[in-house]
Amino acid sequence: MAHTVASFDEDLRQISQLIRDMGDLAGSMVGASTKALLNSDNAMAQRVVSDDAIMDARQRELDDRAITLIAKRQPMADDLRSVVGAIRMAGDLERIGDLAKNIAKRVGSVGVSAAPRDLSHSIDSMAQLVLIQVQGVIEEYTAGDAAALAKLRNDDERIDVKYTSVFRELLTYMMEDPRNITACTHLLFCAKNLERIGDHVTNIAENAYYVLTGTQLPANRPKQDETAMSAPAA
Amino acid sequence: MKPMLSTDLNVAETAVEKAKIEVKNLNFYYGQSKALKDINLSLPERSVTAFIGPSGCGKSTLLRVLNRIYELYPKQSAEGQVLLDGKNILDRSQDLNLLRTKIGMVFQKPTPFPMSIYENIAFGVRLYEKISKAEMDNRVEQALKRAALWNEVKDKLNASGLSLSGGQQQRLCIARTVAVKPEVILLDEPASALDPLSTAKIEELIDELQADYTIVIVTHNMQQAARVSRQTAFMYLGELVEFDRTEKIFTSPREKRTQDYITGRFG
Repeated sequence: MAHTVASFDEDLRQISQLIRDMGDLAGSMVGASTKALLNSDNAMAQRVVSDDAIMDARQRELDDRAITLIAKRQPMADDLRSVVGAIRMAGDLERIGDLAKNIAKRVGSVGVSAAPRDLSHSIDSMAQLVLIQVQGVIEEYTAGDAAALAKLRNDDERIDVKYTSVFRELLTYMMEDPRNITACTHLLFCAKNLERIGDHVTNIAENAYYVLTGTQLPANRPKQDETAMSAPAA
Repeated sequence: MKPMLSTDLNVAETAVEKAKIEVKNLNFYYGQSKALKDINLSLPERSVTAFIGPSGCGKSTLLRVLNRIYELYPKQSAEGQVLLDGKNILDRSQDLNLLRTKIGMVFQKPTPFPMSIYENIAFGVRLYEKISKAEMDNRVEQALKRAALWNEVKDKLNASGLSLSGGQQQRLCIARTVAVKPEVILLDEPASALDPLSTAKIEELIDELQADYTIVIVTHNMQQAARVSRQTAFMYLGELVEFDRTEKIFTSPREKRTQDYITGRFG
């Protein structure tokens, strides 16, 4: 149902539009940064770096609009949750932009043909998983599908599992041939950044779920990132 | 329709709290027209409860039943029970004067008597008690202090109550209510005619008074209800739609009608 004061709806609409824009931008940055990495495409990497400035500007605009809306309208209930939720989701989207930028900045360091083909494949499939999550979370939020958000949050587990396997794979390459160490170390950071992006998507899903339902998802979800345990032993 | 009561977080809370007033199966009529429909709710002791809802929803009517002030008007009648400490105040045998010393009321417009500040307070006390001048002086001072007005009027107790500002007059009315040592204070839009600073003083006062009194406030200002009350009842078309902890009502109400009202989507 629409608000009696129509301009209130317009203010809320602008905020949710910004969240969608930031979500789209985050998706394209994550996709482009991994593509740039795997193809050693410096020009594409550069575009990701400049996109991050746009992401930051969007977040500042959203903050301004949200604070102004709270001051002017004193939102309640679902309106209040959606505005506070938007501020928090924008924070996570902005961090996703930063992490994509970090991946892009490593493109020069990894080198042209350093990444072995099947290793590229592992990183690529991890990136695909992350991308599906980034795009999905904003779609499900926009569609108002709380059940899908709860599922999507749990799906982060798949990224964690993938990260663990990429981690082990990279260690193997480094042990096989020390000349791989520089490139693999950079790729390891990239994989870690992708895994962190997955965590931010999880935060967004939890926030979005709260905005939609007014209740919090349970604090614990399955955790499968075992690298913290396996690293010293490897 | 039966109101949905929260069964999760506030169970433990309400279990230990004593109900000061219990409203049971209350119906109210203005002539033929039914203004309250089967109201059931329980107001905890020493706590602030807010009634909110659009004009004509029955919130003021419900407040007016709690001290039977509606009986001043013809053709108004209530059926059901309103238990004050377990005793039904709607019972014919209830002494109305005694009831109104226990349940005080403050109205939307400040209503000081056209007499001195001192007499405004002493007048009500004298109706019920015979006390010495010194005791009365003390009672007046305590009541004015309780209403956070003492410092502003202590040097002009003989000035007319009508000479005070609107906010001061309202606090004088609260002092007058407090002076007869009630157990429950009913506030009908107590700050809606006041400026923001006077409103803040009244709200601060409500916050302090709840340590000693059970307070019920009717307000159109939802932010005010959210600020001052512990539990909130949302009423619509004579029904109690939802009654829950205030933070629950204003962050994630259970009923769609509540949500539509408090977010400004009604009608």
